[in-house]
Amino acid sequence: MKASYLLLFFCISIFSCKNLEYSPSQILDKDSYKNINASNLERLGDGSQDDTVRFIVTGDTQRSYDETIKFYRKVNSIPEVDFVIVAGDVTEFGTLKEMQWLARELNNLTVPYVTVIGNHDLTMRGRDVFKRMYGELNYSFNYGGVKFICHDTNSREYQFSGNVPNIPWLRKQLQPEVGISNYVAISHVPPISDDFDEKLVKDYAAAFDETPGFLISFHGHTHNFEEFKLDNSNIPYVITSAMGKREFLLAEIINTKLSFEQISF
Amino acid sequence: MNKFLFKVSFIILFLFLGTAKTFAQKLKFLIPDAGIVQHAGSIGYFSVGAGYEIFKNKKGYLDFNYGYVPAFKGGELHAVTVKLAYKPFEIKLSDWAKLYPFNPGFFLSYTFQEDLAYKFHSSEYPRGYYYWSPALRPHLSFSNEIELSIPESWDGLGINKIGLYTEFNTNDFYIVNYLQNTSSLSLSDIFQLGIGVRLKF
Repeated sequence: MKASYLLLFFCISIFSCKNLEYSPSQILDKDSYKNINASNLERLGDGSQDDTVRFIVTGDTQRSYDETIKFYRKVNSIPEVDFVIVAGDVTEFGTLKEMQWLARELNNLTVPYVTVIGNHDLTMRGRDVFKRMYGELNYSFNYGGVKFICHDTNSREYQFSGNVPNIPWLRKQLQPEVGISNYVAISHVPPISDDFDEKLVKDYAAAFDETPGFLISFHGHTHNFEEFKLDNSNIPYVITSAMGKREFLLAEIINTKLSFEQISF
Repeated sequence: MNKFLFKVSFIILFLFLGTAKTFAQKLKFLIPDAGIVQHAGSIGYFSVGAGYEIFKNKKGYLDFNYGYVPAFKGGELHAVTVKLAYKPFEIKLSDWAKLYPFNPGFFLSYTFQEDLAYKFHSSEYPRGYYYWSPALRPHLSFSNEIELSIPESWDGLGINKIGLYTEFNTNDFYIVNYLQNTSSLSLSDIFQLGIGVRLKF
């Protein structure tokens, strides 16, 4: 009799559990999120009525879910933020579980967020997980007359093939467009890093330099705030601190002028 | 001369047959003590394997599994797993049922998938750039098992007992994530479930 009760308990515990994992390297499960970037951008809209574009840049959220809780609480308390951009390395190991755990916390943001691919996210089967859960590796969106160009600069993960960052794609995004007065680039690896394709630095910088209304290029990767300019260029490149260092950037574009500040939380 | 060669080959053949017989007896330990079928548990959507009872007191398990995850379940991938577990506790539930309530274990899984190599290529990355193996995963596990004796009338099946088990496991990736995020992650986030049947010969 005792045995049958235990057997029953045993069966119930099996079928009530959601943790049936097939592999740490599986790229989806029945509960995993899909197309987060696209659905958040749909929620964001085009900001055509918004004359103040206010957004947050954070990055390197890997292994930092506890800090992400503090982050979304802080961001939710800042008035009139339009959206949040996560500049890559959302995971340490490129796994489905890590991307899911991060999204679970970021979904508590009251404003929409988008993520950009980082080098760690391209390890393991991260590329496939990222594409399904978040979206494309190179994409852009327009908000309040500003074009935000999110792209993959993780050259080392492609053995410095010369195709990443994808300069022709960037050039196409930077073409003049009706209703767009400014451009902002966001990517993970900054062009001063050893992990950025050395052969492409000049063309990369030139693409930005030659674009009227190009404001700034945001990055992550080094985990420390830094602002720099490349030779013969006036374009500011700005690296945000890692999520784990409890600091992010709050940027504002008013009347084609950009300003930003570092905010600790 | 030919006669001599014939003699020698005959003796060699005889000796070979003799050793082959003792060799075969020595290889008896290779015959598994159990056949295993498992669902999930991080080593395949389904996996099948051979199990051995080890240690003198037969309280240890050594299992070899092959698992498969089809594309629509997040694969496609193949995995080979070697598991080691110990059953320190045994509770007799009835004449025909036993419970092994808590069996800690350790296992290694190797995943075969084109994006997963044994290690990151040293020509592509500086030393220590990425510090883990993509394909080889160490896991910690604990399981429980209910063991049912088969009625004697079923003897023809060649199965003595059936073990039904649930196994929870975690791996190096999840442990690293958990240790730094104990308020946002719970143990139920990092421990993954597998269920299985062990047919004991």
